[in-house]
Amino acid sequence: MKNIVTFKIAPALVIIIFIFWGFKKPLNTTSYKCMIQMANYSGEGAYIVISLLNPKGDYEKTLYVQGDDDQWYSDITEWWKFHGKARADIDAITGATVSGGNRSINVIQIEDNKINKGYKIRFESAVEDQEYYKKDVEFELTTAALKSEFKGTGFIRYIRMLPQ
Amino acid sequence: MTISIWRYSHLILAISSSIFILITALTGSVLAFEPISNKLKPYAVKNTNMLSLSKTIKTLKAEYDNIISIDIDNNDFVVASVVTNKGKKDTFYINPFTGKKITNTIERATIFKFATKLHRSLFLKSTGRIIIGIVSFLLLLIATTGVLLIIKKQGGVNRFFSKIVKEDFVPYYHTVISRYALIPIIIVTVTGIYLSLEKFSLLPSNNNKHVLNQVNSTKTPQLNSTAFAFFKSTTLDNLKRIEFPFSSDKDDYFTLKLKDKEVYVNQYTGNIVSEKEDNLIALASSFSLLLHTGEGSILWSGVLLLTSISILFFLYSGFYIALNRKNKSIKIKNKYRKDNAEYIILVGSESGSTFTFATALYKALISEKKSVFVSELNNYSCYKKAKHLVILTATYGDGEAPTNANKFKKLIDTFPQKNTLQYSVVGFGSLAYKGFCKYAIVIDALLQMHKNFIPSASLYKINNQSFNAFKSWTDLWSKSIGLNLNISLSRDKLKNTTQFKVVNRTIINTDDSFLIELKAPKKTKFFSGDLLSIYPNEDHLERLYSIGKINNNIILSIKKHKYGICSNYLSQLKIGDTLHAHIKPNNEFYLPEPAKEVIMIANGTGIAPFLGMINNKTTNKNKTYLFWGGRTRDSYKMYSTYIDNAFYNKKLSGLYLSFSQENSHKKYVQHILIENEALVTRVLKNKGAIMICGSIAMQKDVLEMLECIAITQLNAPLNKALIKTDCY
Repeated sequence: MKNIVTFKIAPALVIIIFIFWGFKKPLNTTSYKCMIQMANYSGEGAYIVISLLNPKGDYEKTLYVQGDDDQWYSDITEWWKFHGKARADIDAITGATVSGGNRSINVIQIEDNKINKGYKIRFESAVEDQEYYKKDVEFELTTAALKSEFKGTGFIRYIRMLPQ
Repeated sequence: MTISIWRYSHLILAISSSIFILITALTGSVLAFEPISNKLKPYAVKNTNMLSLSKTIKTLKAEYDNIISIDIDNNDFVVASVVTNKGKKDTFYINPFTGKKITNTIERATIFKFATKLHRSLFLKSTGRIIIGIVSFLLLLIATTGVLLIIKKQGGVNRFFSKIVKEDFVPYYHTVISRYALIPIIIVTVTGIYLSLEKFSLLPSNNNKHVLNQVNSTKTPQLNSTAFAFFKSTTLDNLKRIEFPFSSDKDDYFTLKLKDKEVYVNQYTGNIVSEKEDNLIALASSFSLLLHTGEGSILWSGVLLLTSISILFFLYSGFYIALNRKNKSIKIKNKYRKDNAEYIILVGSESGSTFTFATALYKALISEKKSVFVSELNNYSCYKKAKHLVILTATYGDGEAPTNANKFKKLIDTFPQKNTLQYSVVGFGSLAYKGFCKYAIVIDALLQMHKNFIPSASLYKINNQSFNAFKSWTDLWSKSIGLNLNISLSRDKLKNTTQFKVVNRTIINTDDSFLIELKAPKKTKFFSGDLLSIYPNEDHLERLYSIGKINNNIILSIKKHKYGICSNYLSQLKIGDTLHAHIKPNNEFYLPEPAKEVIMIANGTGIAPFLGMINNKTTNKNKTYLFWGGRTRDSYKMYSTYIDNAFYNKKLSGLYLSFSQENSHKKYVQHILIENEALVTRVLKNKGAIMICGSIAMQKDVLEMLECIAITQLNAPLNKALIKTDCY
């Protein structure tokens, strides 16, 4: 009996939580379509983490994680030092890996007040039993940068951003 | 010699990788359910060959502004990735005919994620992957050595799929199932190895590259993508994936992955900018993945499931066989040393089953207070006090020595005997093989050439480990050396007996023969051709009689011997009496299924199983002909009612009788075979069955006659696989 009541209440609770969540969320963010074009390497799909770095160069926030098996997260060593401690919930911004030669397109959210303030975007990449690239792509978060293309230095051939 | 190397490698490989094979087979059988459960979901889109890409794009553009890609997976599910109005990426199954979302993409169940990780890397990341890659390779080697072992055992490549000789349950099915599981196992291991090599970048990479055609890289003429000729001509059944241009830049293309190539298409003009054919490596990779995972096919996933389960069975049965072989060969604890024994029994056995007979003989001799020593043929040596030598040997494959007898030929010259030994050789084998008892023949010939050996009984061949036949040999041999031996299988068999009630019997006829009908205990399952083992009174010696099953009762045909304990005991039974016995299955001597033409040949009381077979109204769909040899017409009277019934029910198509003491000249059953040569030839030619039951002497004459008919009429040696025997 108790279980049935809980079941009935559950959807209502979920809706309420979502509403509050909505209010809490800062309104001044913009979505960006972000394409990662992988280089022609062979082997497993690459793990890629997109992070926001503050002007001091410290991790501020994880924007996107490409790769959903957390046993490999520690291979992205720099980011793991930041993420491994706090373990923020990244389920909503996690996607499947993409292997050599293919592209992935994802949507990332960036707060408008971080732009043109010396913040940086970093793409780290790692492939099982191959190298780890701390700065496969890294660029300063400016209005111009968010419309352009950046060449990668590791498993990424290039990335492109496009505001929605 | 070679055989033991292959068997040894087969075992060593299996031992060294057993844990990993166990894990992968278990997880493999779990994982086989994933493609099955996916395929059973109702999201598959049919008739994609009717739908052009341009139509699909049109339908989808009406529903979604910003499409990233469309995929068609191996289950024929169509997956769309879009950016929603809220600026989020969303991926789901759609119906391309309507553009509507069906449901969210299936998220892999935790059990499958867990099983996959365990299956491919044992949770040990790259180390685990290397281990699994190596284990796949080892399993391939195990399969290969297994093939060699089967070829050896069956006596040639072309006999690979012919009948396997009756053995114990476990080794029999180890061989039978492996012949069918072999091909899927090879496929699974080879694709597994391929996938491992690929993961470690050990394969040559795809060298085909896109070469961009700059001329086509313009913005004019600007067409709507739904008007592209290429999109109109491409139907969805050829498409694996289409990626939409990232931006409106003219250098951003549509990327189409088709079944055999990748194409870039200009997003304004619809011209093909570049085309890249898939090379062999790319095809092999996708094919390996499909074969290894079974994705998209319920049937193949089912095969993979059965393969995983059969691997588990092989692990169990393989170790069972290995352990059992060891147990069987060290069973005998000799009471006497080799130089103190008068009787020497040497055994040549591949599976260890011949030791059972050696043990029985050993016990019988010991109980007569004789000094006996049992050993393997390879341990042949000097025996100082020996007078009698008995060799019990099987044959391996097509006439080779069993593993524990392969050195005997050399040893016999190395160790000369002081005394002259009387010897007897007993061969164990199966008529289903060309080289029936061939190794025993070789040994017999070898001993005959030696001046220190004289035969006490001639070479004796035993088909399908018949204990009855072995008993007959024991009688012959023991009489020839002035002994009276009674051999029996181990005594604990007695515990399994149940009571059978006598419901009918005939009087003893002029041949001292009679029929007895017994009622089996309820729920007892048996068939005509099985054996009834009887222990009369307190006697622990076992006698076997062939069973005919009529109306669920057991019919036995028995000849009373003057001094036969058992036959005398049975002859005194009255209706209502009970006796202790148990039924031994003898599936080598059942009617063939599916139905064929069957020739049944019997002499004397050997008719019993056939009486049952021809009176079985339900199961006997065979066309049967009965050949019977007896002494006089009087001998036949006892059986006539059963045979008349069979004729009446149309279960018997022909009856041929011969009598040895009716006329001036003796006429035996083989003589009526040659008189009906045409019938025999037809059955042999059409691969029917010939079943023989009765005395060993009759069997020998009949086989010679059949051989003669086969050679003169069919120009080929007798196909022994068609012949089933139950002779004693």
